[in-house]
Amino acid sequence: MSLSRLCRVVKCDLVKVQSSSALVSKLWGPCTREVSTCTTQRASVAQHNSKPDWNRAVSEAEKIVGYPTSFLSLRWVLSDEIANVALHLRKLVGSNHPLLKTAKNLIYNGKNNMQAWGLIVLLVSKAAGHSPEIPDMEQDKAAGVLHSQRALAEVTEMIRTSHLVHKGLVNMNSRQPIAAEPDDMMFGNKIALLSGDYLLANSCSELANLRNQELVELMSSAVRDLAEAEFLGERDEQNNPLPSRPLPKDQIQAASEWEIITDPLPMSGVIGCAGREWSARHVLAAGALLGKSCSAALKLAGHKPQLQTQGYRFGCHLALAWQAFLDLETFTGPEPASFSLVGAPLAFTLEARPELYEYIEAGKKSVQDVDYHALYCAVLEGSGIEQTKRLQRSHIARAVDVLDAFPNCDARTALANIILAMHHEHL
Amino acid sequence: MACLSSSRLCARVQDKLLCQFGHKVRKQTVFVKLKPPGPSPLRIFGKTCQRVTTCGPACGSSGFSAAATSGLVRRLASSLQSTSTGSLPDYGTQIVDPYRLLEDDLNGIYEDIRSELERNTNQSELNTIATYYFDGQGKALRPMVAILMARAVNYHVYGENSALQPSQRQVAMISEMIHSASLIHDDVIDQSDFRRGKPSVNVLWNHKKVAMAGDFILAVASMMIARLRSDDVTLVLSQVVTDLVQGEFMQLGSKETENERFAHYLTKTYRKTASLIANSVKAVALLSGADESTCELAFQYGRNLGLSFQLVDDLLDFVSSAQAMGKPTAADLKLGLATAPVLFACEKYPELNPMIMRRFQEPGDVEKAYELVHKSRGLEQTRFLARKHGAEAARLAAELADSPYQKGLVVTTDLVLNRIK
Repeated sequence: MSLSRLCRVVKCDLVKVQSSSALVSKLWGPCTREVSTCTTQRASVAQHNSKPDWNRAVSEAEKIVGYPTSFLSLRWVLSDEIANVALHLRKLVGSNHPLLKTAKNLIYNGKNNMQAWGLIVLLVSKAAGHSPEIPDMEQDKAAGVLHSQRALAEVTEMIRTSHLVHKGLVNMNSRQPIAAEPDDMMFGNKIALLSGDYLLANSCSELANLRNQELVELMSSAVRDLAEAEFLGERDEQNNPLPSRPLPKDQIQAASEWEIITDPLPMSGVIGCAGREWSARHVLAAGALLGKSCSAALKLAGHKPQLQTQGYRFGCHLALAWQAFLDLETFTGPEPASFSLVGAPLAFTLEARPELYEYIEAGKKSVQDVDYHALYCAVLEGSGIEQTKRLQRSHIARAVDVLDAFPNCDARTALANIILAMHHEHL
Repeated sequence: MACLSSSRLCARVQDKLLCQFGHKVRKQTVFVKLKPPGPSPLRIFGKTCQRVTTCGPACGSSGFSAAATSGLVRRLASSLQSTSTGSLPDYGTQIVDPYRLLEDDLNGIYEDIRSELERNTNQSELNTIATYYFDGQGKALRPMVAILMARAVNYHVYGENSALQPSQRQVAMISEMIHSASLIHDDVIDQSDFRRGKPSVNVLWNHKKVAMAGDFILAVASMMIARLRSDDVTLVLSQVVTDLVQGEFMQLGSKETENERFAHYLTKTYRKTASLIANSVKAVALLSGADESTCELAFQYGRNLGLSFQLVDDLLDFVSSAQAMGKPTAADLKLGLATAPVLFACEKYPELNPMIMRRFQEPGDVEKAYELVHKSRGLEQTRFLARKHGAEAARLAAELADSPYQKGLVVTTDLVLNRIK
């Protein structure tokens, strides 16, 4: 798949919506947790082998950088703590704790979704190459990446998983009655908190072993961004995000640039402005980690700061494009029972019709109280989906711009294929 | 016990004062002030100070202005500090109060932590939760020990004109931040109601947000560590985080046999408490540029002090009142944890074994275990073990070059052993 063809595809205005395949939604297990909490079974759609599908793009990309990167490898299975967690998880089976769902997504979808982020980091590493001064000892010649970059990819996955696991806690402090045994929930929280901490602690020591303090600072700032993400905007009692009330155009403050990425993301002009709020939310929750990881991979390879910044942009835009893709998915299949209230199509719809915010307010206590059907219909009627597609295309285009700077090689092609596969779903 | 020894301590201080009284009190004299101020002995101590203050020839008014915000006792003690800039005095056997000795270094440490956290977020609720435990009400034991060790090692390596490096003070802040982050996660896990005499974080906020606030503090601490730009320090401090989590995991299970149980308990105690102190004092020693054996000495001092500290903590859980501790007592039993006093009591009362195995879950278990511990020699033996580790820490500290800070390290082992909360 050539890059030029990808650019062409991206830049054309293709609007035909096709039903998404169940496969893709499965691939994105942990990501989609927020997006599709739907219980309705999605109709499975036949795979088209002729078109670049996600599965193929990913598995081919894996071959390029060597063995799968997932940290759920033997050495993890053999660790005492993981064995301990598994033991305790068994006790939770039958309870309603969301940790089970998180764990299931990690294990059963493990091969396909977990490592997508690590995979991107490795592909970027390989595509950019490394400085000739790096000794042979530190290279994985066969895969074309550095050992340190592989460790970094593992750290990226650990940080992300740790965050997902911590996000899966149950708030026991809510006024809403909790629909399960409180003891089970408490125990589940304990295990979730400890497992997340375990991953976080391990990522700390893996990072320390890389002996690069600028890198430790950058990656730690990504952990901080993930924590910040959970505080942005309105929340229900289980901390599920709600969009903010749309502000009239003249009341929106000017946005400030995020110049130094180790500083926290500036919040001026974000809340109440559909596009910016969506971006800020997902930059903090996803883009920052992927972007900073890509940037860090280039730093390890001895590239100049300018290219490191490009790496950050690539990761960040790719993450946002992915998110837009997930948001769109809600509206391409059969109507789901519920969906993310902070997806881009709904955000744009609310911006156009502020009176719909009434429906959102019904979810202040619990997002389950929202009339999803009404909102779903409103989104389909308006131009939210179209705006989201434009948003996705702009992020894809900016990610592709960065790819252009890399030499033509198998890793670059693989990245292009992954982007294309994602885009293709909405042709 | 604590009262007894503190009065003895005061008596010694008074003797010393009276001895000095004949001579000139123009040296920088710093005395033991137990934190928190004990009952009567300290008041006597205060008066003594006052007497000396009014008579002492070299006590200028500058001492008063420096300590404007402190309480009376503190102010009086502070006024004893002379402004002499000459060579540091010969302390001899005089007792040093580490908190007073480091007043300038520790001053504002909580404010600095709070502003570091504030700088790192634009979400006000995150800032509120993250800074909640940095209200200055804690004992600040970890920062105090880190700075004390930093100054003692600096003195050891560079002599008396050495100063505290900013990076070493950063490590002191980091140690308190890692400690607080772990407290915040502990609160969610243990569902505690009170900590440090106020409602704990899990009572006030959404548990998911509380967990994130813990991650946030750790991330900010980790950024601060990285900014020290020392590979070795980062490695040493990252070990702390790993140890903390592994300690928590050890606390989850009690499947080990009776023989292994005590070793398991000690390892858990090292990981959960001592590792943080040991590795942060090692980090300041590394930053000082000390040689390997000095760094190892610092580490062993911290390890022994930490073990002693936690043993006393486990002891106090049985003997102190809820009011003095600022948190409920027999809390460990209620959480199903068998600490040193129970494990020792087991030798005399084997009926505790099944209770330990079922984590004191059956009705009456907690009360029964509590009673048996008091009937046995478990508390005494725990104190003995704590003393042993304290003495070892003191012995190690004595190997450093003689300085007020080195003395402070020795005194700290006493403070830890004789504390009442």
